[in-house]
Amino acid sequence: MQTFILALYVLIWPLISLAIFAVIGIATVKDIRAAKRNKRELV
Amino acid sequence: MNEENFYQFSTLTVLALLVFFYGGTYLLTLLIKKKKENTDAFMVSNHQIGFGLGAASMTATWIWAASFYGAATSGYTYGISGPLHYGLWGALMILFIYPFGRRFRKLAPNAHTLGELIHARHGSSSQLILASSNILGSIISLMVNFTASGALVSVLSPLSFQAGVIIAGVGVLCYTLWSGFRASVLTDFAQLMAMMAVAILIIPAVMFALGGPQTLSEGMSLLTPEQANLFSMDAILNQGAPFFVAVLAYAIGNQTISQRLFAVREDHIKPTFITATIGYGAIVIGLGMIGLMALMTGMEPIGGDMNNLIPQMVSMYLSPVFIALFFILVIGSLSSTADSDLSAMSAIVMADVYGKNIAKNKPDPTKMLFIGRLTMIVATLIGVILASFSMDILIMLVFVGALWGAIVFPVIASCFWDRITNTAFTSAVIAGLVMFCIARFELLPLVGVVGGLFELLAAVGGGVVLGLMAFGFCGRRVGLVFGTLCAIALAYFSIGFLRDYTVLLASLMAYGVSTIVCIAVSLMSSSKFDFSQIDQKVINYDPAKPAAKG
Repeated sequence: MQTFILALYVLIWPLISLAIFAVIGIATVKDIRAAKRNKRELV
Repeated sequence: MNEENFYQFSTLTVLALLVFFYGGTYLLTLLIKKKKENTDAFMVSNHQIGFGLGAASMTATWIWAASFYGAATSGYTYGISGPLHYGLWGALMILFIYPFGRRFRKLAPNAHTLGELIHARHGSSSQLILASSNILGSIISLMVNFTASGALVSVLSPLSFQAGVIIAGVGVLCYTLWSGFRASVLTDFAQLMAMMAVAILIIPAVMFALGGPQTLSEGMSLLTPEQANLFSMDAILNQGAPFFVAVLAYAIGNQTISQRLFAVREDHIKPTFITATIGYGAIVIGLGMIGLMALMTGMEPIGGDMNNLIPQMVSMYLSPVFIALFFILVIGSLSSTADSDLSAMSAIVMADVYGKNIAKNKPDPTKMLFIGRLTMIVATLIGVILASFSMDILIMLVFVGALWGAIVFPVIASCFWDRITNTAFTSAVIAGLVMFCIARFELLPLVGVVGGLFELLAAVGGGVVLGLMAFGFCGRRVGLVFGTLCAIALAYFSIGFLRDYTVLLASLMAYGVSTIVCIAVSLMSSSKFDFSQIDQKVINYDPAKPAAKG
């Protein structure tokens, strides 16, 4: 049990990073599309 | 020592990695480069940065090279809870600023710096206190990041420390100089994506290279009872609490954050800052786990230098490909923070110094842009020189931290309470800083009545920190009640105890004293401020760009 908890404690952070990686990536693609649609600059 | 203990890249390989990183980043900025940049866009883009780019930029800016080394050191020193006490409180700095950030945006939708808002509210002296502390903080940050580059390059290759410093300085300046904040935001996205991808790969790679979860389980026997405790008081008092106290100070005092508050689309502030909070926490705590794993395998840092922990673990257990990825991870983290510091300093000198105090709100946009770029060049030169000669200016960080602690209450109260005056603001900051120095450097012996009085003031400071956090999310009444109750509880527990933790005591005193003085001096005046004046005074400088609506 301790082994499982320790592994989870270490690996949960890269998993959360992966989720945020996906959220930011998808949101940025939407930002780019919205900027193109509205004919304005991205930044 | 290097050749024996760390993996060594050849000079050609490390130069190729640096050219790949900085060359690629520079090419990316060519996508947005304009022959004639807009002055306002150079400082805050178009006030319309989307959620994705905003969250990426905020996260990348807040992660610097010291984040990895600090989190790993915390994991190695305090055990199980160490990485949490480093990463969690650092992440909360991002979270706790956004309720106040929304108020800043509402009051001054066209602002470029927080100093401009304070200038409109109080005048030059208060604004320049904020601006000068920001510039000092950013110079120190630049120096630390360039130093990290020099150290990394010299440890992993035959190149010298100075070569690493100069390459980072020139590389960052090249891609930031022309488009300023716009370049910073765009490159932050690419850098963060790279950093996250590397962190996602490296953390499990190190764990399985060590022998997997079973090795960690066996390594638990090497931990002291305090290190094995998730609620270690040692970790809380020495690592967590001083960080927690700094949560609001660093968020309020740092222009890199307020610049992004003014740049992100107003309705995206909340999701942007919440995502950045989680992203920062996950990456930094995750890399802190490498320090914990080093402790669990009984590894000793070379030369007793904790900064060697992560490079040592990566060198010992991973293949050269992963070491190259780690190299990119550190260069990406330090570059994203350094370009944000350059953009922050240029905005402060352009808006706070030239725009408000020299040109008196009627600046020449071309001259303003030139001043911003010149600021970047001078700041890079200073950062490179300080880093190259390994000058010990980190003591200045103590004063900057204290100054930021002392300005938290006056800045926030100035945006919500119409009775705060310029005299109250400046006298509060000065009093807070003076009392901080007395406690921090023990200029008076922390015994007897003096010790007790200081602990009481620190308890007030603790109540102010917690009360402001509650106020940000739950409103004035909850903030007042919660802050008062916390101050009373802290007074009960801290008398006769807190004097043994001078860093924590002094930091809390800066908050407490500045708050008491700010309120007392404000109450002596009957003047009331009309907040609608701020929007009229904080303007766009370049007529080519339409003003944002409040």
